[in-house]
Amino acid sequence: MFRKTTAALLMTMAVAPMAQAKSASMCVFDVIGANGDVYNLMKDYALEMKGHGLDIQLKPYTDEGVALGDFQSGQCDILAATDLRTRRFNRFTGSISAVGAIPTYDNLKTVLATLAQPKAAKFMKEGDYEVLGIAPAGAGYLFVNDRSIDTAGELAGKRMATLDYQKDAIHMVNYVKATVVPSDITNFAGKFNNGSVDTAYAPAFAYEALELYKGVGDDGGIVDYPLAQLTVQMVARDELLNDDEAQQAREVAWAMYPQAMALVKRSEKNIPDDQWINIPDEDIQGYQEMFRENRLELRDGKNGAPSVYDPKMLHLLSKVRCASNPGASECTAGNRE
Amino acid sequence: MKAFVIPGLTRSGHTSRLLLTFGMIALLAGCGYNPVYQTTGAVFAGYSESEATPYVLQMGDADMACDLGRSLDPLVYSFSRVTDRPDTTGSLLQLLAANCSEQQAWEQELRYERAIFNDDVPEAKDARTAAKRWHELTAKRRLEAFNRAMRAYEYDPTDPEAECPFLYADQDELTFLLGLLTGLQAIINDTNSGGAAGVPKDIAPQAERAAQCLDNEKWGGLPNAIRANVWLLLPDTRPMMSPDPWRLLKNSSELGVEAGFRASMALEAVAGETAGRRDVIEDVIRRFDAAESTIQVSEDYRLVDQVGRNVITHVSDKLWTREYGYRTPAAYFGQLSPESSSDTETMDLDDLL
Repeated sequence: MFRKTTAALLMTMAVAPMAQAKSASMCVFDVIGANGDVYNLMKDYALEMKGHGLDIQLKPYTDEGVALGDFQSGQCDILAATDLRTRRFNRFTGSISAVGAIPTYDNLKTVLATLAQPKAAKFMKEGDYEVLGIAPAGAGYLFVNDRSIDTAGELAGKRMATLDYQKDAIHMVNYVKATVVPSDITNFAGKFNNGSVDTAYAPAFAYEALELYKGVGDDGGIVDYPLAQLTVQMVARDELLNDDEAQQAREVAWAMYPQAMALVKRSEKNIPDDQWINIPDEDIQGYQEMFRENRLELRDGKNGAPSVYDPKMLHLLSKVRCASNPGASECTAGNRE
Repeated sequence: MKAFVIPGLTRSGHTSRLLLTFGMIALLAGCGYNPVYQTTGAVFAGYSESEATPYVLQMGDADMACDLGRSLDPLVYSFSRVTDRPDTTGSLLQLLAANCSEQQAWEQELRYERAIFNDDVPEAKDARTAAKRWHELTAKRRLEAFNRAMRAYEYDPTDPEAECPFLYADQDELTFLLGLLTGLQAIINDTNSGGAAGVPKDIAPQAERAAQCLDNEKWGGLPNAIRANVWLLLPDTRPMMSPDPWRLLKNSSELGVEAGFRASMALEAVAGETAGRRDVIEDVIRRFDAAESTIQVSEDYRLVDQVGRNVITHVSDKLWTREYGYRTPAAYFGQLSPESSSDTETMDLDDLL
């Protein structure tokens, strides 16, 4: 009897910390579902979080819109999706992908390290939602079916597959006088590959996974300049975790940066050298200014642009750029972000 | 019998064919083996040496290579019953087979570390016993590989005055060199088995002497790395005025990267483990990973680089498991903690308020 009681007591003691453990469900968008890189990354995130007392059940979605809808209707507690979709929950972190705002991966690392600090916690909450982590998904590049499209001027009149819910991209496409061909993540690759559009933008990952090399063919290429930094963000309803737990979750996600970045680098390496289109440095300077002016418009909602970018994030990104490249003209510009 | 058959050959026509057939049957029945075996043995040994060995050395799949050693060794070496012992190929096959059993020993070592991490004493004891058994088998296979390699080149390692063997081709040099390496490893495995394999310890000074027969630079610093390891194991063997073994190991590792196979780095890590020098281990793991972006892995000896990588990975896995309870996560290979190795720059957020 005594032994039984002791055993029961020990069981209770062993179970006690688990009783405090929380469980949560997570809708994960991955363009290739449960066997994709993002889903796999989230499996590691869930495992790490289990070590911190949060038991996360993952559910894969190949349609980002459906994942978003399920999160909004309360079918899952956390959403892991691209910042293009999560921007509505947090405009600050959703502006990381502002056009041309993070020209290098070193800059991206600084941004994400900064946001993982406890000091940044207050920016992670907006309304009823809180960001529980940000992982890099790779820079978006311009894929073209004709290598002669190597300047912004050449884009005029070209048909470009554009995500129909990405207001900043639509503004940019109109700015360069290209034609918006409304698309979504599931059909833009097909349109590029069958020639119904001349250009598309995507991270390097899509080159192999979505077979964009078919659309690139022998005549096309990939412009070697990051248009925007795509990230995957984990967003939860604010009441799911307390402040300490949420901060812990963000630090777990930051610790996975090398793992996520290794995937990005590998995807970029898989693109053959001769497929990249290099653009001259002097052109890059011009593009940087073009992007900056567009960001200001997209921040202030001027010149027909929607107001989608957060001024604080744009300011932070400008500080990061100027820290690594203090001589850039934008760093002394009167209308600095 | 030959006397009966040979005159038969001089005849012609049906009679001679009949006699020849009978003669052959008598020859085969009279002797204990089939001459086809002998021919097959010669062909097999020749093929193994000229085609299979270079092919296997080019493989990057060490797991498949070890299975090849384990499954083919009994077949290839069984030809020693009917023809000359195929010692060169036989040495490499035993070496590969030893990598299989060492892999098992490593898994048990990690299970032991995990058990210690979880304070599970019976599990730790069980894992340690299992690891010892696998180390014993590995030590025996490696001793056999060493002996076969020495025999293949008619080198008597016990003779302190032995002259360097005549090594005809690069493959011979490598086979002899890997033989010396396995001799050294056999001692380490035997120690880890609790002396169960009974490997004679004097292999170490023998290997140290013989390593001087090979060009250090050509072989990626491996000869000197073997010597330095022996000096650290048995300080008496270290010649007067010899360089510091740690410096020699580091230099060998650099030569290994230049040659395109990082076996010397593995030996530097093993020396670090032997001497309990965590600083050396940490440094060599970091350098191994850093070399990833610069090294041109040798096409001919890809397997040697891969086996070196396996050793480094295991050394890293052991330290990770000891510290955290799990092996090295892929993204952290090259460092011994999940903390960021470089201080990532961050921005001041105060002016965003």
